[in-house]
Amino acid sequence: MPAPVDGAANERAIVIAAQRGSDDAFAALVRIHQRRAYSVVRAIVLSHEDAEDAVQEGFLHAHRALDRFRPDQPFGAWLYRIMANAALDLVRRRKVRDADELPDNVPIPFRDPAESGELRERLQEALMHLTDRQRSVIVLHDVEGFTHGEIGRTLGIPEGTARSDLHHARTTLRRLLQNIRSSS
Amino acid sequence: MTDDRWMSGETEVTDALRALYAAPTDESYWESLEARILAHVSRRADGHGWWFAMTDLARPALAAAAILIFVAGAAVMHTRQLEVRDAYANVISAAPPSIETAARTASAGDGDAVINYIMSH
Repeated sequence: MPAPVDGAANERAIVIAAQRGSDDAFAALVRIHQRRAYSVVRAIVLSHEDAEDAVQEGFLHAHRALDRFRPDQPFGAWLYRIMANAALDLVRRRKVRDADELPDNVPIPFRDPAESGELRERLQEALMHLTDRQRSVIVLHDVEGFTHGEIGRTLGIPEGTARSDLHHARTTLRRLLQNIRSSS
Repeated sequence: MTDDRWMSGETEVTDALRALYAAPTDESYWESLEARILAHVSRRADGHGWWFAMTDLARPALAAAAILIFVAGAAVMHTRQLEVRDAYANVISAAPPSIETAARTASAGDGDAVINYIMSH
């Protein structure tokens, strides 16, 4: 009777195979982690398209740094930190690019006409009043279910800072959405 | 503590937030994204290898270029020295016109003048 496959041990074996140059093993890691990776970067960047770019860039960085990863560490935490850095880097580059362009050319967030509920629209506008980090923290916490500690490790900030950012993000959103919530 | 979590009645904000940031649910989307990620990594990883191969070659290539420049410079200098030496050699070795030849030329000129004078009278 075969022993039950331990998920972490199985992933460790895949990581080691990828470190030895197995393309199939790296593809398996992409398959396992791409959804979570997308969610992490989507919390940081402003659009779905940017999230796709950041995920691709993040996996490229991970591939290049794979030989420096210690397999006794949790691979997911290591990978999501790389993803967050790729997303933050993309946000920085977008800001530089946008600063060089005329204000008329600054892209506005995509709005799906079919889902343009008032709360959704107001929420999108309110999110723009948060700092990048506050927005990332509240999305990682409320949408992805990250703990404060996980958010801190992913974004490279102290856990207390993640908690504080979440508090300020909530306060700001609560204030900006007060009218619409009380009228609904 | 009310500011670290939404109060009752505020869950609609969380729901809207989840709708706003929802990841695609279509399985074919993830298959497509996986393929794009792997293609991106493959393409750029190859480029990375190519770049590093070029970096490895850069040092010997620079050394070779320096040697070539030195050899070309030496050849130009050598050619220039030869030209200068030949020019001096020509100046030194060239024989001055002999007095006899010069006198003959001059006397030939005088003879013509005499003949012209006789013929005109």
